[in-house]
Amino acid sequence: MKMDRRSTWIGWTFFLVALLIVVGFFSLGVGAVSIPLQKGLFFLTKGRGTPEYAILFEVRLPRILLGFAVGGGLAIAGVVLQGMFRNPLVEPYTLGISGGAALGVCLNIVSGGPEKLGIFSLPISGFLGAVGVISVVYILSTKGGIMRLSRLLLIGVMVSFIASSLIMLIMAITRTEDLHGIIFWIMGSLEEPNSSLIKAIIFISLGGLIISLIFALDLNALSLGEEEAFHLGVEVERVKKALFLLASFLTGCCVSVTGIIGFVGLVVPHLMRLLVGGDHRILLVASYLSGAIFLILCDTLARVVIVPMELPVGVITGLVGGSVFIYALSRKGASF
Amino acid sequence: MEYKKDILSAFLPFAFFLFFLGDAFALPSSPIPQRIVSLVPTLTEELYLLGVGDRVVGVTIYCQRPPEAQSKQKVGTVIDVNVEKVLSLSPDLVLASPLVDHKQVEKLRDLGMRVEIFQEAKDFHGLCENFLSLSHLVAQEQRAAEIIEEAKRGLEATKKRVEGLPRPEVFVQIGANPLFTATGNSFVNEFIEFAGAINIAGDAKTGIYSREEVIRRNPDVILIVTMGIVGEQEKEVWLNYKTINAVKNRKIYTVDSYRFCSPTPLSFVVTVKELARIFHEDG
Repeated sequence: MKMDRRSTWIGWTFFLVALLIVVGFFSLGVGAVSIPLQKGLFFLTKGRGTPEYAILFEVRLPRILLGFAVGGGLAIAGVVLQGMFRNPLVEPYTLGISGGAALGVCLNIVSGGPEKLGIFSLPISGFLGAVGVISVVYILSTKGGIMRLSRLLLIGVMVSFIASSLIMLIMAITRTEDLHGIIFWIMGSLEEPNSSLIKAIIFISLGGLIISLIFALDLNALSLGEEEAFHLGVEVERVKKALFLLASFLTGCCVSVTGIIGFVGLVVPHLMRLLVGGDHRILLVASYLSGAIFLILCDTLARVVIVPMELPVGVITGLVGGSVFIYALSRKGASF
Repeated sequence: MEYKKDILSAFLPFAFFLFFLGDAFALPSSPIPQRIVSLVPTLTEELYLLGVGDRVVGVTIYCQRPPEAQSKQKVGTVIDVNVEKVLSLSPDLVLASPLVDHKQVEKLRDLGMRVEIFQEAKDFHGLCENFLSLSHLVAQEQRAAEIIEEAKRGLEATKKRVEGLPRPEVFVQIGANPLFTATGNSFVNEFIEFAGAINIAGDAKTGIYSREEVIRRNPDVILIVTMGIVGEQEKEVWLNYKTINAVKNRKIYTVDSYRFCSPTPLSFVVTVKELARIFHEDG
């Protein structure tokens, strides 16, 4: 029985890794400028210095890598939060994390930060905004060392509303140039010129996966209920805090680089739960891989739908993710 | 415990592998650009004015003037650039406005392209400065100086014509829902002043303007910058407010948004002349 389950897990992992590789190559191959596949191989070996080489390896590849890291990171943040809250509607964004990040970025843009502090200015302010909101939500929902999850969720949602109202206020009174900066950021994009930032986010995202896997069994216990988890020997309060911080940190890092990309953290964990089941040991791995696949695919679509323009990737994740999810739910019927 | 170790040992080598990814890449650049991508409609128009239209290889979908520009390769909009499309044209100069996503500009520069960002001109003076620096980039300073000279002469002539005439109060509507106007810090404001009138929103801090304030200020003329069909609809809306002088005297005009919002030094003067005619029909 145990062997059986293990081989299914390995099967899923291999399948998703293979799919990820296929999608990666597909995404590398399509874009506004068409580059035939056999020529692609040529460029890989001898094409250095040609525009085609630059398009493949300096424009498309970094986007694919960023899509991998952010898609995976947001998906496992979703799995962790849904697991500990035992609530299917919870995702990194419902807790106000993205709202806080967006507010931080807005304030930075209107105060002229990007000109003074350069390329890292927006990611840093986004991250600080997210950390600010997380701290507020955390402090307000913890009493006597006990973190109350329903309270945390409600406060998170409210903070999220307040943040988006403040953003609209800022947008209404700001200069046109700044307005564009804010809108770009809110719509989310995988375009990121800075390669060290991309490397950093890949590292953080994979690190997040490893840490969350260490907590996989605790998450399994928590999804039975806090009391049950406690009786199973889980240090509930400590684990909850650690998981909340992990998910927030991951989301904060992701959105601070790419802007707000919705839906990945909500839809991917659900779909994977329908496919591979609720055991977090496999659910986390499967969600990470399919989050990556999903975001890379969505970005590919965003790049080619209305050439020469690029759609914001958030448009595609919402449309595709939402439709696929409704379809899957209505087919499986009674899961929720 | 075993299981946790397995995870760690499986992922770490993979993570390190990711750090071996290539970097810089550069295109050779020549002193006078021969392949120009323009991401700003005004600059595209000005390149043609300077007689170097044949060097333009890529434009935005909004670059409608002159008509020849429409046949060039499209590389995106004013704010959204398709990086790979630009790259495939191997330009030696990319002209952009501050409205373009700074990440895309960084990317283009990273890829070794020369990207020049032109700040949006706030007045006629800035417009001429921009035009001169553009001419400098493509080595057509002489031609630019002549064009600017011609524009200045035209402007002086109009100024003389409207001197001493009564100055009507004008409200310029640039956007609807919310009502949006041009503040003092814009060349739209200058259009109006050069043409011998007063912009009622000249002292406003931001472009969002309340309809009540328009009614209170009671402008003599309302200019609606065309936004396709919306311009005509907005005219209908204003006609409901019968207390406004502009409505009483039927002085509501729609003006071409392209020339009004992205002028070249030459079209600037043409617009001022037209406005002067509207403001001082008898003058």
